[in-house]
Amino acid sequence: MAGDEGTEIYEEREESMDAAVGKEEAEIKTEGKEDENILQFLDSLDGYLTLMDSVNSKLREGWFDLASARHSMGTLRINSTLLDLKYHPAASTLQVTDQEVGSLGSVPRFALSKWASKGCGSPKGKDFSTDTDSEIGSPLSQQLRHRGVSEKPSAKDETTLAADEEIKKERAKSLSVFGGLVSPKLRGAQLSFETALETLVEIANMRASMLSAFERITEK
Amino acid sequence: MYGFEALTFNIHGGYLEAIVRGHRAGLLTTADYNNLCQCENLDDIKMHLSATKYGSYLQNEPSPLHTTTIVEKCTLKLVDDYKHMLCQATEPMSTFLEYIRYGHMIDNVVLIVTGTLHERDVQELLEKCHPLGMFDSIATLAVAQNMRELYRLVLVDTPLAPYFSECLTSEDLDDMNIEIMRNTLYKAYLEDFYKFCQKLGGATSEIMSDLLAFEADRRAVNITINSIGTELTREDRKKLYSNFGLLYPYGHEELAICEDIDQVRGVMEKYPPYQAIFSKMSYGESQMLDKAFYEEEVRRLCLAFEQQFHYAVFFAYMRLREQEIRNLMWISECVAQNQKSRIHDSVVYMF
Repeated sequence: MAGDEGTEIYEEREESMDAAVGKEEAEIKTEGKEDENILQFLDSLDGYLTLMDSVNSKLREGWFDLASARHSMGTLRINSTLLDLKYHPAASTLQVTDQEVGSLGSVPRFALSKWASKGCGSPKGKDFSTDTDSEIGSPLSQQLRHRGVSEKPSAKDETTLAADEEIKKERAKSLSVFGGLVSPKLRGAQLSFETALETLVEIANMRASMLSAFERITEK
Repeated sequence: MYGFEALTFNIHGGYLEAIVRGHRAGLLTTADYNNLCQCENLDDIKMHLSATKYGSYLQNEPSPLHTTTIVEKCTLKLVDDYKHMLCQATEPMSTFLEYIRYGHMIDNVVLIVTGTLHERDVQELLEKCHPLGMFDSIATLAVAQNMRELYRLVLVDTPLAPYFSECLTSEDLDDMNIEIMRNTLYKAYLEDFYKFCQKLGGATSEIMSDLLAFEADRRAVNITINSIGTELTREDRKKLYSNFGLLYPYGHEELAICEDIDQVRGVMEKYPPYQAIFSKMSYGESQMLDKAFYEEEVRRLCLAFEQQFHYAVFFAYMRLREQEIRNLMWISECVAQNQKSRIHDSVVYMF
């Protein structure tokens, strides 16, 4: 009888210990989850601040290049009165979608299509969404990396080259409001502003993930 | 061998040569530029310029100032100087002074035509035109659809009419055609000005030939560099080069086939006066080329004042003033954008 009681007490103690261990494990898991959320938030914040610095720097460079171009070509050739007021489709478009991202839940995602085709059905422009994992050459890319130079350009390379040529033409076309022959400094300014636009979209995506991470942290 | 200009020049040109030499003394010095480079904002620049010849033009401008305002007001000073000289000049000096305006007239014509193509308001475009390039019927440029109409309706009664013979087509005006028209007109203008100076003879002919040849060569280089990677074919590019200058004709043949800045450098380094310009730049770089050309131009323009009894001093003065206004524009932009460390990238000192 005493033995049975002892066994029961032992079993009860074991159960309570198991429950305590389980509770501790759950607490550790929750803390771990919270730490993960905090780290995610801090990573996003760091990325956001870095991108803000980058866009400020690019914009500064762009404005300076524009001033250089105005100095080189003359104020008559580069001024706001030459900008085209005729109706024309936008050179770049922005798409906003909702995306489910693992621990962050539903996050708005911004994707920039630069130099989209003007008036054609299928877009010829490149999609500059910031999903870097899908880029060729990325460590996480599923595609094989080829060493050396392949003798025959692949169909994909040819398509990329053709798309690059189209983009080059679209760039020249949008710059032609200032004349057919413009200074390389003006082209440099265009590239700077183009990069700034891409960075702004990355900032928007980073901000969305940062806010979502912050919401997860403040959830109770 | 010059003629006896010293005996007769001062009868008609003495007063104006004295005036222009006085104006030349009023150009900003290195000390002025050093003061301007240390300004913190555009109001500081206005304050420093109040002690110069530009003072009366800027004093009534309200704050906050804009870079374009400074450029506009300084240009008004240039225009006033020019008009004073023009109204006092007799032939052939008056014709010489009129030639100085034609470049600005071409720029204004192209501005109006381009702006109209882009559906801009004509009044807005007229406000942006260079005052030296204005003429009576300029506003009616907006109605022309092609170059033939442009010529027939408006330009036939202007001094630019003779320059249109190579541009007359019935093709509709688009951005590339307008660019070709601009460069073709300017080519014809430079060649006409060159011939006129040759006819004048003496020191005017010698000094102006050098200055205009340099201008033609610089335009050839700029056209080449700006057309790299564009639709402009080699033949069309070559047609835009002037038919005189140090680079004519063999340098033009080589420039026409250049595909990058290093090839342009290779062509230009064969000519000793331009070797010094390109030696200041590293390979593959074209950022400092403008400054190098402006410095060489200023050097040649300043040398024009070393001789007397010729008209080139008037051309040199106008160009030096334009360079000064460019300098002021650059300094203002650097100050406004908080890029004072880059001011010396493009300021060209004269004295």
